[in-house]
Amino acid sequence: MLNKKPVKLLALPALLWMGALFVLPMLMIAVLSFLKRGTYGQVVYEFTLNNYIRIFDPLYGQIFWDTLVVAVLTTVFSILCGYPLAYYISRLEKSTQQIWLLLVMIPFWINFLVRSYAWVIILRSQGVINTFLQSLGIISEPLPLLYNSGSVLLGMVYTLMPFMVLPIYVSLEQMDRRKLEAAYDLGATPWKAFWHVTLPMTKTGVVTGSILVFVSSIGMFVVPDVMGGAKSALIGNVIQNQFLSARDWPFGSALSIVLMLLSMLLILLYFRATKASETKEGSA
Amino acid sequence: MKRFKSLMIGALTAVLAVTAVGCSSSSEQEQQVLNIYSWADNFDQDVIKDFEQKFNVKVNYDVYGSNEEMLAKVQAGASGYDLIQPSDYMVGTMIQLGLLEELNKANIPNMGNIVSTFKTPPYDKENKYSLVYTWGITGIAYNKKYVKETPTSWNDLWNEAYKGRVIMLNDPREVMGMALIKNGFSNSTTNTKELEKSFADLKKVVPNVVAFDTDNIKQKMIAEEAWIGTVWSGDAAFIHAQNPDVEYVIPKEGATIWADTLAIPKGAKNKEMAEKFINYLMDPEVSVKNYESIGYSNPNEKAYPLHSEEYRSNKMVFLDTADIARAEWLVDVGETLQQYDRYWTEMKSGR
Repeated sequence: MLNKKPVKLLALPALLWMGALFVLPMLMIAVLSFLKRGTYGQVVYEFTLNNYIRIFDPLYGQIFWDTLVVAVLTTVFSILCGYPLAYYISRLEKSTQQIWLLLVMIPFWINFLVRSYAWVIILRSQGVINTFLQSLGIISEPLPLLYNSGSVLLGMVYTLMPFMVLPIYVSLEQMDRRKLEAAYDLGATPWKAFWHVTLPMTKTGVVTGSILVFVSSIGMFVVPDVMGGAKSALIGNVIQNQFLSARDWPFGSALSIVLMLLSMLLILLYFRATKASETKEGSA
Repeated sequence: MKRFKSLMIGALTAVLAVTAVGCSSSSEQEQQVLNIYSWADNFDQDVIKDFEQKFNVKVNYDVYGSNEEMLAKVQAGASGYDLIQPSDYMVGTMIQLGLLEELNKANIPNMGNIVSTFKTPPYDKENKYSLVYTWGITGIAYNKKYVKETPTSWNDLWNEAYKGRVIMLNDPREVMGMALIKNGFSNSTTNTKELEKSFADLKKVVPNVVAFDTDNIKQKMIAEEAWIGTVWSGDAAFIHAQNPDVEYVIPKEGATIWADTLAIPKGAKNKEMAEKFINYLMDPEVSVKNYESIGYSNPNEKAYPLHSEEYRSNKMVFLDTADIARAEWLVDVGETLQQYDRYWTEMKSGR
């Protein structure tokens, strides 16, 4: 009881920080989304629902859908590539593990734009791969490796995979290995043991990783621009355009709010789904 | 317009911070200050130094990466800047929003030196608020190795032989403007029918496009990822210097001309010094030094005979006055910008 107050005080800087840099801008965006755009792109302080009505244009619905598809694909590929990697790392010697974890994290120290351009240099028509294949005589014309939806997906998975690997690794580390031994003693094959013991016990890691990757990819606009040649319109690009070229802050704000609500809803559904399967397993 | 320059911000501010520290101790007596807010690398360093010495003034130089960034800061008020460099259409917007001071022409006698077409730009018809500083024309850059016949029309971008090799600026107004000009309309039309027709035409070129890019369009042309595309004349000059196979033409239908200007924001503290600086930049000899250093087209007609042979023979920098007269400015389209943006989004979404 006595030490509760100092603890509260210690949280104060963080709360102020969140209030000033997160809640306030969020409120501003919410307010902006109900205002009008003036003829010259200024914000006019008059209430309107028009920005939200405009979103019902099927074009924007389609773009939201495309964005979700890309985000889901990014998440799925991140799990498929990230889980085996995390599993492999967790089975290594402690000292080797640290080197691997460092290797996973090092890209974060390099500016994100620089890393994207590194991919451009590797994949472009006069890039590393094409020049190599051409010099071996395997191909005569450069392959179109860049500026398509495949390269966008590659860029997204590459950028976001550490967010998947790290939480899965942590949950693999925390797992009680004795349960796995018990499964083997009871005659489970390695595959069965993984499916019925390891995977359920590391679900928290997968769920956390998925949310991190999904949320980050849903608002991504740099990768489609740099690695996709800005040829696709994801919702992040559309929002960026409202602030930069169309000078329509209210519409950009409305799109942001809808995007935020949509991702919150999806995360909620995802939580429900994973919770539901947990209780089912528990009773089985 | 020149967002690629924002990449230089970091390096430049670091250099300026060091030089600022070095200078502050030199002369303390009543030194005036001129605060410039501009694109990175937009002046020759020696030209600024000469000005500082001649007028006993300290020049501070902050940079922005987009017109919208600058607008937001000036709109927020009390920016403390004496001189800004909005692009053409942004001058129009800022005049409408009452954000610019009228220039006192008595302080800028050199104003008369500029090319006559620049004296009557549609966004500021009498140069009341702004003066063209750097400018260029969006034409077609093409690589002779792959594009055998010299392009003459925007229609050449639609040629199926260049599938997956056409590059375009990642800018709705520029690209829609190009399609409008190709179809014989104004690049700043507010007529829905004209927009609709040009957009339908524009959609057909999309399969040819390898990328939309403004910041790195030069790299893509130099590395021959793109063979042909819409490129600013100044960028074309840069590309040509790195890859001599790349040439530049202004199509017969006409083209979009752009400029970054010199203007004074409302409430500037040192308006007179800003005007002196503008006048100094428009001095023929100073301008020759300045423009040959930064590699942009000089708007100063009085300076033309003073330029080096090399500068004068570069057709991407030293543009024909006939081409200038043929080119069209982008002007603010007001509410119609929403339609431009929607078409742009529709084109990108691939439907």
